[in-house]
Amino acid sequence: MKRATDIATVFRIQLAGMRREVGPFLLAALVFPSAMYLFAVAVGGAEVAHEQNRLRYLAGSVVFSLSLTSISWLGYLLLENRFTGRLKLFATLPLAPSSYVLGVLVFALAQSALGTTTLLLVGRALGVQMRPNFALLVVVIVLTILCLSGLGVVVAARARSFSEGSLLTDTLGAGLIFLAPVYYAPEMMPHAMSVFARLLPTSFAARAVEVALAGGHDIGVELLALGLMATVTLALGFRLMRWREN
Amino acid sequence: MTTATIKDHTTLTGPASDGRLDAESRAATPHTARVEVGVDVAVLVSGLFKRYADGTEANRGIDLEVRRGEVVSILGPNGAGKTTFLRQLTTELRPTAGRIEIFGEDAVAHPQRVKRMMGITPQEAGLFERLTVREHLEFFARFKSLSKRDARNAAREVIAELGLVAETDRPVGALSGGQRRRILIGLALLGHPPLLVLDEPTTGLDPSSRRAVWEVIRRAVAKGSTVILSTHYMEEAERLSDRVGVIVAGRMIAFGALEELLSRLDRSYRLSYRDPLDPLGDLVVRRFVSFAEAQRHVARESLSEYSISRASLEDVYFSLTGEQFDGDTGGVST
Repeated sequence: MKRATDIATVFRIQLAGMRREVGPFLLAALVFPSAMYLFAVAVGGAEVAHEQNRLRYLAGSVVFSLSLTSISWLGYLLLENRFTGRLKLFATLPLAPSSYVLGVLVFALAQSALGTTTLLLVGRALGVQMRPNFALLVVVIVLTILCLSGLGVVVAARARSFSEGSLLTDTLGAGLIFLAPVYYAPEMMPHAMSVFARLLPTSFAARAVEVALAGGHDIGVELLALGLMATVTLALGFRLMRWREN
Repeated sequence: MTTATIKDHTTLTGPASDGRLDAESRAATPHTARVEVGVDVAVLVSGLFKRYADGTEANRGIDLEVRRGEVVSILGPNGAGKTTFLRQLTTELRPTAGRIEIFGEDAVAHPQRVKRMMGITPQEAGLFERLTVREHLEFFARFKSLSKRDARNAAREVIAELGLVAETDRPVGALSGGQRRRILIGLALLGHPPLLVLDEPTTGLDPSSRRAVWEVIRRAVAKGSTVILSTHYMEEAERLSDRVGVIVAGRMIAFGALEELLSRLDRSYRLSYRDPLDPLGDLVVRRFVSFAEAQRHVARESLSEYSISRASLEDVYFSLTGEQFDGDTGGVST
């Protein structure tokens, strides 16, 4: 019971903070990804006629939104908590570090739910044809968020300074999108790069979201990969996020 | 029966009977009785040693025993190891060696358990700029296992106690440094924890805010809390503490009630004056064994403006740490 209350309270603290910072959140979760969708459609040219491409661009923008909210935005919040001494304040309380991280993760999930839903509505308004498999989509989104948030937690826990951490989370948040074949087909990349790019969590996430939006369900490999990555990054993040110093 | 002795210094005795503690606390901690460990002990530290990764030995074998209901101040120069000591007490830092017990619970082995018994104000901690004073206190009260209603009531009570009623719904980012400091103290007070550990609680506060915080601490003690605080303000330590510890270079070089520490001074009368031949010069401070001796010096030097006072904690501190006041002639007696 205490753990649930602690997690809920950490969530509420983050939410109360975000209420007053809704502008940057909307930029990260909605405006940039929507703009990227429109940009991809614009440069896609003749290919746009193909409905599958529109769906890929939308899936890419959903993953872009998840990446920005969970690595860049969430990482920034964690870094801010750490380097402004707020983490020290949490450390004075009878609060387990894991409860703190879980509260922050719940916050990330809530943000992503809001961002994804809005993006899907935007996609629908822009005429993207989709038959979402919602149950599968939820699983994909949750696994993607856990995996990417884990990366954010690791960076926030290990960064030696706020500026270093902030640079890393920004680079990762955007870089994992542009390095992965999210807005374009993997065949368009140099071979060596495409092998690497296919292994990125955002690649698995983009394909899984695309399939789920199309109503398909053949994404076992993607779910497994995302699940494994989430386990590894979160385990590392939990391990590194400590109250107590040696 | 175990008697506790702080290194080779003052044998532990009870707090001065100066009315600072309530009757129950005084009864529980008789003025000169030696302490039976485990019966009435809030904090027990033994052989505490802390070596950082870079090799710095910040604490080198600290022993300390704090009884329930006591206020203990920890003094020491910057870098002496006070904060390291308190951070180990609060479980934020793992000791290299030694033992810490909080109300009988092993703080090293069970940090979460002991933190439930503590209210902690770190020396430096950040607040959430966009959260209001009320939100801070209500949220943090929830972490201390208070129900929503109790958290609301506790927040209201602490806000009133800290004199922040007018700021209740203002975001913390709009408050002054002193007001933020008071909020940090308020977070420690939530839920009436039996032990308060306050690292320089009044640093940066103006005199009136400082006094307000002293009152808050006194009220907490009156309600049964034990307090350990570090400070650079001698007046604060004198006014609040039952006992005072001095840490220098990682060691607790003295610990005892104020009177005991004062009794360690050879010359416990202080004469301050300005040299009649250099009236614009620095204040001259001389120390004497007795009041009469100080008066004789006044007569001999034909001083017209001077002051003679009993030694204070400040004198003890400077004597112990080897530091000096400006103009202090170093305890020379004529």
